[in-house]
Amino acid sequence: MKTAATLEVAPDQIYRDLQHAARQRLTGEKEEPLVMVGTATCGRAAGALDTLAAFKEEIVRRHLSVRVREVGCLGDCYLEPMVIIQKPGYPPFIYGEVDEGKARRLVADFLVNDDPCLEFAMAALEPNDIFPTLADYPRGFYEQRVITELCGIIDPTEIDQYLDHEGYAALARALSMDPGEVVAQVKESKLRGRGGAGFPTGLKWETCRKAPGTPKYVICNADEGDPGAFMDRALLESNPHQVLEGLLIAAYAVGASQGYIYVRAEYPLAVERLKTALDQARQRGLLGENILGSGFSLDLAVFQGSGAFVCGEETALIASLEGRPGIPSHRPPFPAVSGLYGQPTVINNVKTLSYVPHILRQGPDWFRGIGTTDSPGTAVFALAGKVANTGMVEVPMGTTLRRLVFDVGGGIKDGKEFKAVLIGGPSGGCLPETALDLAIDFDSLQQAGAMMGSGGLVVLDADDCMVEIARFFLEFTQKESCGKCTFCRLGTKQMLEILTDITKGRGKPEDLTLLWELAGDVKAGSLCGLGKTAPNPVLSTLRHFRHEYEVHIDEGRCPARMCQDLITYYIVPQKCTKLCNVCVGSCPAEAVYTRPDGIKAINQELCIKCNNCLVTCPPEHQAVVKISPPSPAEGA
Amino acid sequence: MPDVENHDELRQVTEILQRHSLEPGNLIPILQEVQEELQYLPREGMRLVGRSLGIPEVDVYSVATFYNQFRLNPPGRNQIKVCLGTACHMMGGYIILDCFERRLNVHEGETTPDREFSLERVACVGCCTLAPVTVVNEKTEGKVTPTRVDGILAGLGFKKDQAAGKVEAEV
Amino acid sequence: MAAKVKITIDGREIEASPGDRLLWAALDSGIYIPHLCGIREENHPPASCRLCFVEIAGMPNPVTSCTQPVTAGMVVYTRSSQVDRLVRRGFQLLLSAYHLRCGECPKNHTCEIRRIAKERGLKLRVKDLRPLDRDLPVDASAGDFVYDPNRCVLCGQCAWACRHRAGVGILGFVRRGMERRIATFGEAPILASGCTRCGECVKACPAGGLTFQKEASG
Repeated sequence: MKTAATLEVAPDQIYRDLQHAARQRLTGEKEEPLVMVGTATCGRAAGALDTLAAFKEEIVRRHLSVRVREVGCLGDCYLEPMVIIQKPGYPPFIYGEVDEGKARRLVADFLVNDDPCLEFAMAALEPNDIFPTLADYPRGFYEQRVITELCGIIDPTEIDQYLDHEGYAALARALSMDPGEVVAQVKESKLRGRGGAGFPTGLKWETCRKAPGTPKYVICNADEGDPGAFMDRALLESNPHQVLEGLLIAAYAVGASQGYIYVRAEYPLAVERLKTALDQARQRGLLGENILGSGFSLDLAVFQGSGAFVCGEETALIASLEGRPGIPSHRPPFPAVSGLYGQPTVINNVKTLSYVPHILRQGPDWFRGIGTTDSPGTAVFALAGKVANTGMVEVPMGTTLRRLVFDVGGGIKDGKEFKAVLIGGPSGGCLPETALDLAIDFDSLQQAGAMMGSGGLVVLDADDCMVEIARFFLEFTQKESCGKCTFCRLGTKQMLEILTDITKGRGKPEDLTLLWELAGDVKAGSLCGLGKTAPNPVLSTLRHFRHEYEVHIDEGRCPARMCQDLITYYIVPQKCTKLCNVCVGSCPAEAVYTRPDGIKAINQELCIKCNNCLVTCPPEHQAVVKISPPSPAEGA
Repeated sequence: MPDVENHDELRQVTEILQRHSLEPGNLIPILQEVQEELQYLPREGMRLVGRSLGIPEVDVYSVATFYNQFRLNPPGRNQIKVCLGTACHMMGGYIILDCFERRLNVHEGETTPDREFSLERVACVGCCTLAPVTVVNEKTEGKVTPTRVDGILAGLGFKKDQAAGKVEAEV
Repeated sequence: MAAKVKITIDGREIEASPGDRLLWAALDSGIYIPHLCGIREENHPPASCRLCFVEIAGMPNPVTSCTQPVTAGMVVYTRSSQVDRLVRRGFQLLLSAYHLRCGECPKNHTCEIRRIAKERGLKLRVKDLRPLDRDLPVDASAGDFVYDPNRCVLCGQCAWACRHRAGVGILGFVRRGMERRIATFGEAPILASGCTRCGECVKACPAGGLTFQKEASG
């Protein structure tokens, strides 16, 4: 490998030329009006492609000179489909819940005429005199966007835009440094792995760099399996080049010549956008042979995971890449010493790698200035569940749960009462109200019996049953257990049997002791991280919500009225109006009927507890209720 | 007994194999391509892949039965996936799955006898904020309600009385 | 050959080669540690049965001795309250999914499960766990021997023997989680899968999963 001194043209110069050319291509665009539609998977699920089509059609129909661009995810998923309109003379406005109708109106009123339809607007993207910006809202105020900064703003399928925003500048800088110096910078930044456990990234790189053997490999772990997390998907769909740049820097730092991006096959759009990004990077000389004229070469390929949660575990991921079932093996040896095909291998999560270009560009001190001393930087959470503003948020480490849920997340949906948050998915735990003032970072969560995990954060309210949640996670880990080791295969199964019994009203008082003991044994005895953390949801709910378990067992009652075997649906005769028929029509099982006196009632024999009648009963009546413990006589 | 269809399938597998370098590390991408083209992994096809890569055929079967993605039987013409990730579960995804099961008269993981519909559960499609989510023939849809289930099925040409054995009972 | 080093197991000093796996060093010196999945020749031990836990001075938690390389001066305890608890639970868990019929089992007197129970004073009847019997079909196609998946502990000894001792390679692990089992391609009968009936798998099986027919009749 050449060093910077021997190079005829420094990588930095080549990079500047690349960036200049990209900017040249973009200049013409900046004077035209621009419509940006967020078409990441979540936007699409909300109908963004129809919105996109409506814009295009209307613009063509009216012969307008307006460009329409697909962008990624801004993170405000509760307002999907989201659209940004940039028109010269106005600040760029963000609009939420833009359906086809609104799209057509925006074209007619704003693009043709000069009414920006501020009644649909959510915020302006830049400070101005007429409309508040994102930072004027609590969410924008408390957020600090580093790796999500460009998400939803740039076109993820167009490398020029990433280059325009200083993209790949960090790579150019790294390539003119000694690889050891790159490792040192990352070490100094104290960046910790965002995949869950928070292992120091720099240390991992250093181990791999020093490990004997060639070739070496780098792998980006994008096998986001936590069934409540989607940040990796959003990052890959919204800004794939950022991850690539991080991976390229990692490869240069450890001396790897081949790399893989291991993505879940369940994320087809992320796969597609990554492949496009790889092609573009290759065309610009940012990937492949002699990158930016530095003499450093790296080949990268996308590998699609085939649906196995356990493949998020490093050794299982490696087995999968080698063409075997994703079954973990004993560590040590750690992959940094002996990984893919027995060679030194660095495996980093999508988010971890996304920070790397920023650290190289702005320096380790800048990074350490964000967050807490031992967990510097930001944390990206996927807010979901019963929180008002669901979506992807990025806040400094050390932000309290209260701020995250009530300010950034806008509090609990429908004004209900907060009960708990589930953090870290099936490996994490639940934290009750008393933990709301906990400043979240890797270590504080671990101490509280939860885990940063992948950053999935599901908010629960009084309608959510903690036993059922624990059972749900156990069912998930049990289904996803590879089955290799005794404790995980059979221990989680035994725990699941107990939990299922409890949610069905068949639990026995002594079950709780056995459940607690089994949880401890599975944690201590399992081979890999999946088994070792699988009991966490059970342990944490038992610790904080033991009384809910006891009520299920002792009274056959589900306080949250969620466990289907412990509830009945009932129509309160006094509240039923007789005049409407929606509940009868909504029932798929024909269990709801009209009594001779006109009042509706439910035939319990036929009721399948689908919740339809409760949802459809007009809010002014609210005649349908759930009763626990179940009462077969009611409503008959 | 190898029949005509089987021959066709094997020819397609052979073509896929020709596009790859035949090393064990390519087993999963090869199987993925086979499934992409044939919608499932035929037995003889798996054997052929094993022989071509020089690995015991049971190892191919190991991989095919380990990962959720692989199917050993042809799926229905319409593929319905119900997400049961955390958020979807909390927002009633299991009720949606129930509704599909009842309407189609199959369990998750099964295909209707007329091969029109197959029903699967998936762990998480990453659209947690739009829970509960379904993926029908690769199209993701959020905030699905039990009544929407009937709408989805109607859109796919499913008639209510199609569900085997339910016709008489509902009259 | 590297020079031997001294280590202490349960207060007894023994000699072993550095780098050797602790499990085999102990067994060679006549010190018993429960184990089902360990394969001496295998450089990458599966460490799946989770029964060979020991405590090592200086390490906070019990470790599996099949994966632990010997180092000079190492002080090992094969019994401790933590170790006993894990071994007891692991053993119970295996038995909760094991079709126990010792009286009818041809391996009754050579069975490793019975040996573990005897050495560690563990009961073969599991009371507090749910029985997880799966009632899978028994394969007697090979004639000379019978494969009963309900008595398989998933140690993988048979698949290893079939591949590395017999050089055949028709057995392997299939499926996942609770469905994980030893099977042939397509879960076809053993005889129809290219079995040479060499019997290596049966000899390797530490439990009642694979048994010779003549043992049964005799």
